[in-house]
Amino acid sequence: MTSPLAPSPGTGASACGCPEYTSLALSRRALLGSALVAGGAISLGGSTRAYAVGASSSASSSARRSPTGAVLVVLSLRGAADGLSLVVPHGDPVYYAARPRIAIPHAALLVPDAMFGLHPAMAPLTDLWTSGRLAAVHATGMATPNRSHFAAMEAVEDAAPGSRERNGWLNRLLGELPGSSPLQGTAMGGQIPTSLFGAQPAFVVDRVNGAKVAGADADGRRLAALRHAWSGRTPMDRAVRDALTGAQSFGAARDLPAGQPATAYPDSDLGRALSDVSRIIRAQVGADVITLDQGDWDMHTDLGTVEWGDLQRNAGDLAGSLAAFFADLGALGEQVTLVTISEFGRRVRENDSYGTDHGFGNVMLVAGGGVRGGSYYGRWPGLSDTSDADLLVTTDYRSVLSEVITRRFGVSTASVFPSFAPTPVGVMV
Amino acid sequence: MGRERLVDVLPGRERHLVTRFSYGLTPALAADVRKAGGAQAWFEDQLTAPTKVADGPAEQVRGWWPDLDRGPLDLWKRNVSEVRGGWEVMGDYSRWLLNRRIRTRRPVHEKMTEFWEAMLHVPVSGDAQFTWRVDYGETIRGHALGRFDQLLPAAITHPAMLIFLSAATSTKKAPNENLGRELLELHTLGVGNYTEDDVKASARILTGWNVDLWESWKASYVSDDHWTGRVEVAGFSHRNKDPDGRAVTREYLRHLAHHPRTAHHLCLRLATKFVRQDPPAALVRRLAKVYLAHDTAIVPVLQALVASKEFRASAGKKLRDPSEDVVATYRALGVEVRRPHSGESSANAMLWQAENIGLAPHAWPRPDGSPVDDDTWASPARALASMDVHWSLSGGWWPTQDVTYRMAASWVPKKGIKFRDLVDAVSRELLHQPASKRLLVTAAHATGCRPKEKITRDHELVKWAFPRLLAAVLDSPDHLAC
Repeated sequence: MTSPLAPSPGTGASACGCPEYTSLALSRRALLGSALVAGGAISLGGSTRAYAVGASSSASSSARRSPTGAVLVVLSLRGAADGLSLVVPHGDPVYYAARPRIAIPHAALLVPDAMFGLHPAMAPLTDLWTSGRLAAVHATGMATPNRSHFAAMEAVEDAAPGSRERNGWLNRLLGELPGSSPLQGTAMGGQIPTSLFGAQPAFVVDRVNGAKVAGADADGRRLAALRHAWSGRTPMDRAVRDALTGAQSFGAARDLPAGQPATAYPDSDLGRALSDVSRIIRAQVGADVITLDQGDWDMHTDLGTVEWGDLQRNAGDLAGSLAAFFADLGALGEQVTLVTISEFGRRVRENDSYGTDHGFGNVMLVAGGGVRGGSYYGRWPGLSDTSDADLLVTTDYRSVLSEVITRRFGVSTASVFPSFAPTPVGVMV
Repeated sequence: MGRERLVDVLPGRERHLVTRFSYGLTPALAADVRKAGGAQAWFEDQLTAPTKVADGPAEQVRGWWPDLDRGPLDLWKRNVSEVRGGWEVMGDYSRWLLNRRIRTRRPVHEKMTEFWEAMLHVPVSGDAQFTWRVDYGETIRGHALGRFDQLLPAAITHPAMLIFLSAATSTKKAPNENLGRELLELHTLGVGNYTEDDVKASARILTGWNVDLWESWKASYVSDDHWTGRVEVAGFSHRNKDPDGRAVTREYLRHLAHHPRTAHHLCLRLATKFVRQDPPAALVRRLAKVYLAHDTAIVPVLQALVASKEFRASAGKKLRDPSEDVVATYRALGVEVRRPHSGESSANAMLWQAENIGLAPHAWPRPDGSPVDDDTWASPARALASMDVHWSLSGGWWPTQDVTYRMAASWVPKKGIKFRDLVDAVSRELLHQPASKRLLVTAAHATGCRPKEKITRDHELVKWAFPRLLAAVLDSPDHLAC
């Protein structure tokens, strides 16, 4: 355009007489945690869209790292995974009595000790396990059972029972770390998960390649217009500003090609998401905390047996994706610690549909830098075989998370998990 | 203006009502509203006599996706023999809904169909339930402005719901708790208002409803599978001695539909969707009273909702969700979508646009259905994706098949127009309101034009930069929110 930019950015906002919209108060957090919503079957090839105007400004990414260089990846197994199938308590005879059809035979288990062994579909993870970079903590969970998916996700990710404040534990962790870039807390997917929701800014990205402002021009007019339009205080105002800031520094990740590890990523939502997480970490755009999800764990029917079923499929995807991720990171994997969390576990006894109903205790996997791998942690409470029986919780999941963040980020957990006194787990160096 | 007269906009209060209960206020819809005698009269007609307005163009699009009329077994056989996958048919279903929403002149019925279909959610993705999913949507559509105590049993005992939440194979031997629990938490009483014993009894009541999975896909009732014996759930008590448990199911669902906690839960969701996130408790209480006093009829609740001061004060405070964003953008730009001939045709491709922004219709992967709050959709990823879709439609760059976009020159009279008047004309057409000062400043930032600058058809803005102006309007809070 030949005309000069008429109003100077910043002067219009205060003079503007419009908008009741700005009075919309920041309100209750989303009831829901996030879910990886992108349809698995259909995707839009980026090549089909070419825009006529402008080249995207290659943003100056000021690479910054947390003081320790650590990155925490939190993988949520949405739907409540059956921890008794993932890390099987073969030494507890009740396990086999309560699950006549779906129990995993002892002989099929991987890396067994006297009590536990991994589901055979987790074979891609045996290298990480035997090289001491992967561990499991069993019988973990919240202090009291909550069998509602939605209420439990909320409570797990709030991680501050009794508090009415609207901020998740990862958002509070970000508050303890230096820096104020929205990229420090990045969620893969479409929505901000409860764990990242709060006062600290956060970035959300569905696919790395899409994290840019369409039509952004070299003259900066489009960005100036957007900043002017969204200078208010609503959640969307904030989201737009975080998007503009984040997309600008995200260029390095977009420019970095996807890794081609020797152990290939599975062709799955989780595989694609972890490949993108690897790009974000390798590009060093300043992510301290990254969240992502794997869905479809709510197996009321057709969890299946060792030979068939949804559990075998999902566990195989999980194991293959994690193996590829750490292969992709290479030596950088030493800086990255990944933890899995599921909102609750399943009942001990199987139901009549080759599945299990909502239970309580579960297993957490901890992988990567700083992990004392190759071992099973936690105190086994023993199972009982009644229709109501749960795996009881002997380790509060916050104890596991406390150990990870104190050892990796060197911060106190007093504000991350208010009024909680963690007990030692031993899973971290 | 190429299209001559400036759009005559409805008064603010009328704009609010029609915008909130439609898929975007266009000049054509405003004409319908005026013809009905104003927004209030229009709304009454929409609630009580929707068939008063002819809706041929919306009905017509159903024929664009003939697989939607196939039965469960037919769909399944075609899926197995790889003639056409179930997920492709479900893509058609979502596309049909998007195109219907763009065209319909009965938006209140359409919106309420969408509302209940999200609350009584059966995702369109799923290996098994896709066979019955179109019929499920039709079932809900038939009750969308009726009574909840009739809608609830129709939905809960529908094969699609039975399949999705594991009730289709649940038996008395070890009843599957999936549907029994979500019925209490998501469809009726709400979280925190039931016990684990309620869940078990709820699951027992629902045993016997069966679908012949993977074979004939026929629905039946199998008395041998029904758990008998006394059941007690949330104030409902029944001896349940008859192996045919259909009667006890009906009584149970009727009890739940009339339960005060259900009234509260349902009215909270209605108020969150149609008034604002975090609606005042007093409003929800009033609506719940109306609901119970009218035997779970939906229309009186909606009438009370729009008559409330809370509703009147909520103009512009709801964020559009991904599908609403896509549909409103097509409507605002007056994009003419024709019968599709390939996957790239706009009638089909708009599904990917909704997915890109965050969610295709009814594709939410969890049983709690597409969220009706704002926070879920106020994320940086959504912001970037919305800008992306607005940008490509503003420029007419994608999709390009079987679609016609309005030419930039049609916005500008032959003799030219001042930039600020042009912005006002665009605002009236796209947003159905005069340009605010903020919008004018935003547009000036985006284009570099001065407010009094004269714009003629050979101005650079018209020749190649018009998408900047349209996108600035579509990316603004006035379009993203409604």
